[in-house]
Amino acid sequence: MPEETVHLALFKDIDPATKAIDKLRELGVRDKDMTIISSVPYSDKMLGRPMTWTLVPKLAIIGFVLGLVISLLLNFGTPLLYPIRVGNMPYLPIPTTLVLTFEISMLGLLVFTFLGVIWESAYPSFGPKIYHDDITNGRIAVVFNCPPEIHAQAHEALVALGAEWMHRTEATPL
Amino acid sequence: MTAETIPLSQAPAKEEDPRDHLLFDPRPREEMNNMVMEAMTSTSKSFWIVVGILAVLVAVLLFGAWGYMIYKGMGVAGIRRPTYWGMFIANFVFWIGISHSGTFVSAILRVFKAEFRRPLTRSAELMTAFGLAAAGLYPLIHLGRVWVAYWMIPYPNARLLWPNFRSPLTWDLIAITTYLLSSLMYVYLPLIPDVAMTRDHTRGWRYKLYRLMALGWRGTETEWHRLRTAIQIFAFAIIPVMFSVHTIVSWDFAVTKTPGWHSTIFGPFFIAGAIYSGVAAVTMILFLLRSTMVHMKYFIREEHFDALGKLVLVFSFAWSYFYFTEYLLAWYGGDLSDQYVWYALTRGPYAWLWYTMLTFNIVIPWLTLWNRKVRRTPWLMFAIGLVINLGMYIERYLIVPAMISRNRFPFTWDDYYPRIELVISVGSLCLFMLLYVLATRLIPLIPVWEVQEGQMAHTMRRIGKTEVPSVSEVE
Repeated sequence: MPEETVHLALFKDIDPATKAIDKLRELGVRDKDMTIISSVPYSDKMLGRPMTWTLVPKLAIIGFVLGLVISLLLNFGTPLLYPIRVGNMPYLPIPTTLVLTFEISMLGLLVFTFLGVIWESAYPSFGPKIYHDDITNGRIAVVFNCPPEIHAQAHEALVALGAEWMHRTEATPL
Repeated sequence: MTAETIPLSQAPAKEEDPRDHLLFDPRPREEMNNMVMEAMTSTSKSFWIVVGILAVLVAVLLFGAWGYMIYKGMGVAGIRRPTYWGMFIANFVFWIGISHSGTFVSAILRVFKAEFRRPLTRSAELMTAFGLAAAGLYPLIHLGRVWVAYWMIPYPNARLLWPNFRSPLTWDLIAITTYLLSSLMYVYLPLIPDVAMTRDHTRGWRYKLYRLMALGWRGTETEWHRLRTAIQIFAFAIIPVMFSVHTIVSWDFAVTKTPGWHSTIFGPFFIAGAIYSGVAAVTMILFLLRSTMVHMKYFIREEHFDALGKLVLVFSFAWSYFYFTEYLLAWYGGDLSDQYVWYALTRGPYAWLWYTMLTFNIVIPWLTLWNRKVRRTPWLMFAIGLVINLGMYIERYLIVPAMISRNRFPFTWDDYYPRIELVISVGSLCLFMLLYVLATRLIPLIPVWEVQEGQMAHTMRRIGKTEVPSVSEVE
């Protein structure tokens, strides 16, 4: 199988970028071999791309449950181990437990949401990546792998759609 | 010659230029990036003078005075029987209140898709972070023996001491830690694309710093999707955390039997006050940013002061409602201890503060903020914000040391006069200002990607014979 190379095409606007995605599909480039890089978020529907999935909500729920368990251990475990008598209150009072259970569970949820983004994106990641500095200036990059036999066709089609810069590219350190 | 008159119904409507609104006045992304970069990187001599003065004031007034108090003991403070909770606790409540602005402006307005929030969110979120930094010092300062602060942390120690989880002070520690960590993460997440932008536009030490902060962000579809999902989760989840934090702060007071404090509405009353002072503080910060930093007039416009002015007015109503309820029920209830407290406030030694507070928190906002012209005049909004924050500070002062000075034991009654507390309070204000001033040159204060996203979503749409602003759902 011939070696595939990575190409990066820069567009000024989203419309030619979405057309470029369609064109690449016509040429046989699979969706999983394409990536769109932009300086503002575009939804999958806007880009006409398959739905993106993320584990972040599930990780958030795991964090919440973990926080809940820790808070219950702290709230019930510590008074059992080291009982402190407070006037007119049981050793394990439910109302005060609810306050801390809420706080620690929410902390778990939020910390795991944050760590979820970091973990799923494999951050920090300063290694070589396909990128162009103009992306943060508003350009939209269509990055794709394709077999050498369609290089010329892809290049021609994307330039015709208004690609401002189109090149076989190599990963550079970010 | 007589003036030509026309019926009011036929008078031409005064039309606003849509370009007065930031989201209808788009500029190329590159230009907006450059504006934000220039605002961040341009520092004048006067900037460094301000930084130097603030740093000295923080060192002397905050850490110097605190060190002196640690060395000499709590006797140098004005705290004495019966007022064991003095200005330190009032400051703590005040700064926690200020910190609510970030969550309110950013999270609640994000959830409700209030578009005017876009350029303001980061300025407000930074207020939260730095407000909490100032607030977090006060429990430590108030402790006196700060070196044993770690006793609050639950771990099995040699004395077999564990925190009492039934104590509101433990709730405070955990709630503030939760809110501080959550707020820092909530500031950081939407900042990642903006620091990636600054990484791409800088060299030298700034490049190294922003490269580290950007974590390798490129802006791929999956990265955006994860970030958006996380921001949505944060926006929804941090709101109840925000409410809980100030409610817990209010419970520090309300769970006691102290007259004036033992109230079921203290939670919502504190929250209304916190958002009131916080949003007023945001208007002050925005005015200062707009006046002192280049290009900020493009991003922060009269429309933003107008919108925030309306919010301040609404929260002024809410706060007044709660305050009146507090007062009415104490007045009507006939509990002698409560009545002594309110007597001290309304006719006693604290009366001048009480009437000043009512003037600052009710009379001035109500007389001014209904007026659109006032709300759209930035310096006036700054002045009103300042007055409101002074009023809200007085409110906290009256709740903490003033109310506690009239407890259920009249033979212990004594008026509270702050001593070193005054110096430390000014020091903590300087700390907040110093952190903010430094942040203006290190962090892109305008979330450019959010502004651009908003500008993409806003268009003019013709309905009948006129064009009306229209917003598309892009989030």
